[in-house]
Amino acid sequence: MFAASGINGTLGRAFLLVGIIGSLFGAIAAISSARQRDQAVAKLIPRFAVLVFAASFGAFAVMERAMINRDFSLAYVQKVGSVSTPALYNFAAVWSALEGSILMWVLILAGYTLAVTFWLRKKMDDVLSRYALGVMFIVSMFFFVLSFGPANPFAAGPAGVFDGPGPNPLLQNHLLVMFHPPLLYLGYVGMTVPFAFAIAALITGRVGEGWLLATRRWTLFAWGFLTIGIVLGSWWSYEVLGWSGVWAWDPVENASLLPWITATAYIHSVLVQERRGMLRVWNLSLLVSTFSLTILGTFLTRSGVLNSVHAFSQSAIGPWLLTFFAVIVVVSVGLIGWRGDRLHAPGSIDSPLSREGAFLANNVLFAIFAFVVLLGTVFPLIVEALQSRTIVVGEPFFNRLTIPIGITMLTIMAIAPVLPWRKASQELLSKRLFWPAWCGVIALAGSVWVGATGLAPLLTFALGGFASGSALRQVVLATRRQGLRGLVGRANGGMIVHLGVIIIAVALAASNSFTHSQELNLEVGKVATFNGHTFELIDVIEVKTDRATAVKALVKVDGGKAYAPAITKFTKQGMNVGTPSVKTGLAKDIYLTLEPPVRQDEKKARIKVFFKPLLLWLWIGGGLMALGTLLAAFPGRRRKPTSPTSDDDFAADLLVML
Amino acid sequence: MNSKSVNNKWSWTLLVLSAVALLAFGSMRSSGPQTQADRIDAITKVLACPTCQGESVYVSRASAAESIRAEVARQIASGQRTDDEVIAFIEARFGSRVLLVPRSTGLDSLIWVLPVFALVCAVGTLGFAFRRWKVVGNDSISEEDAQLVERALREEQ
Repeated sequence: MFAASGINGTLGRAFLLVGIIGSLFGAIAAISSARQRDQAVAKLIPRFAVLVFAASFGAFAVMERAMINRDFSLAYVQKVGSVSTPALYNFAAVWSALEGSILMWVLILAGYTLAVTFWLRKKMDDVLSRYALGVMFIVSMFFFVLSFGPANPFAAGPAGVFDGPGPNPLLQNHLLVMFHPPLLYLGYVGMTVPFAFAIAALITGRVGEGWLLATRRWTLFAWGFLTIGIVLGSWWSYEVLGWSGVWAWDPVENASLLPWITATAYIHSVLVQERRGMLRVWNLSLLVSTFSLTILGTFLTRSGVLNSVHAFSQSAIGPWLLTFFAVIVVVSVGLIGWRGDRLHAPGSIDSPLSREGAFLANNVLFAIFAFVVLLGTVFPLIVEALQSRTIVVGEPFFNRLTIPIGITMLTIMAIAPVLPWRKASQELLSKRLFWPAWCGVIALAGSVWVGATGLAPLLTFALGGFASGSALRQVVLATRRQGLRGLVGRANGGMIVHLGVIIIAVALAASNSFTHSQELNLEVGKVATFNGHTFELIDVIEVKTDRATAVKALVKVDGGKAYAPAITKFTKQGMNVGTPSVKTGLAKDIYLTLEPPVRQDEKKARIKVFFKPLLLWLWIGGGLMALGTLLAAFPGRRRKPTSPTSDDDFAADLLVML
Repeated sequence: MNSKSVNNKWSWTLLVLSAVALLAFGSMRSSGPQTQADRIDAITKVLACPTCQGESVYVSRASAAESIRAEVARQIASGQRTDDEVIAFIEARFGSRVLLVPRSTGLDSLIWVLPVFALVCAVGTLGFAFRRWKVVGNDSISEEDAQLVERALREEQ
């Protein structure tokens, strides 16, 4: 056993070293061949991409092997591994702490680099492709170095350890931990691709529209996974954490939301550039912000400067990430400044009441949204630095500021889809908005009818109805014209995404504003009633496994199925984890938690019941967003790239290639 | 003005009036009785758990949060105090660091001021940009561009 134990550590580090060298040479090959237009060197780029991916895959596989074989010679396995962790959670334990998640970042980044190389295989003659790959190799190298040095998952641990605590108990009682982090990382890391092309376009000076069209689908792909990752994270929070909420404005959640906000802004404003050739600097800035926010977010949440439920323990990667962040910002701003003359927008926006005017308003809102989230996340740091006292910025602050932003966004979502480019006349608007607006009034009347109160939720429901009317109008018109093809393409798929967003907004407003909760002291054999539902305690049982003891209260809801909220004591960590049990329904969820203290022998249980209206629709809306993203990625009705400002035929070529 | 657009005007007026009426009615009426647990939830959402980083008492399962929650529950159960009075009581007992809402004085007020400032700047810049674009947009077409368009049109035919 000891003979084998050294192997994983050595092998893993060897793979990481190969990755560093491979990405270094890949970057050198890409950039030197771009500068000297050397075809022979350019041919080497794909080989380095394969090598780097193989190295990252090897390192990740070795880590999995060490985890599966319980190789306790590694400090990381001692930290998150345990003999008694079930196989699936043990597999996921690799990314349950800092070092392993950086390793996963490396794997996904190398995967993206390989995929982009394959995608560009016939475009390798283009200098811009080489520069873009050069940037990807440099970013890869940084993460390989991070994993090799300050976040080394293969460091040897103290000898004589034969078991560990296993991953955090919260990370081993729901299957979503298997999927949430990898999907989120696919989104996070995917933002490197458009960033690399943005930098390449700036270096080559070809800041026309070609590279934008080229990377549209990559950005959409990453954005889609970021969306799914965030939704799954909320779902996990709801199903596992037991406070019945989906979003706590926790710094790590904010860190994933920030790049999502700027990427969403970009996806909208890039249309203005494609169509009108404007907003070039703004779009480049959004791409750079998105990428640098993924790095800043990782710094804030993984270095220990901010604490949150997700934050892993203090580590040495802070200065590295901060330096990298600074380099990205300085280089990008420098490049944008250097290319300032070519970035000058040739056109102008005639009227605020036009498609491009609405996109601009949307972008201002998204920028302020991002600013509010960033400010709320880092403000405690600022106060601590200046006045050395701790303050907490939480849900009340974020709700107060983001609810008006959200309502304004819904307003724009209601009007923008019907606006034509250039300029809209009053008659046109009055005609196109007529039925969508009535949808809004009907939604409002319906929600008043079922008893909704309060200005903010009612506005959300009304504008949600209005905005879905506008979105449906677009989809209906398109499908009437083109049949099923009217469901695909950017505009139509985008409207499906809008519908998903609207459903989420309505579900959030309903579940936040009209939640009711009650504590029930249940005794076996007695029936309690709350809000027209009956709750009957059947039994309180204890389930023992070798890693935990769970006390479960079996509660029959409305005389039907028994639900089992539980409190689980994880023996090794000495940690109590409450597990809610949810009766899901289209109209409302009934969310049950078992409240401490629990005494199994007394056959009594204190249960907290939450009624969460429309909560299920959050996940349905998330699914619709994913579906819409997929539809948007399919080519819609072909339109000739007639943009008058395209300064090269790269766009046309790529359009054909796609 | 033809009759169609008059009809249109009337139906838009009707639409706006009914929306305003529904909003006014819906937002004025009371939201129904709150359970004691609802009040406890609302209060604990604006209180910070003193031992955990950045979580509200409502979210946290830590023992310090449990004890504050128990205190809030006791206050609510006695029925003597309003929600604000309970919050003030908890603040007096546990110190101002248990307040989750940033204060609006001193350095902390920046967190409220800066977003408003950003909004004003953004809207101002946008307004300025539209005004400038309007001026640029009204510029007459240059000779060169006119010829370009003419040539393009000829080629099309």
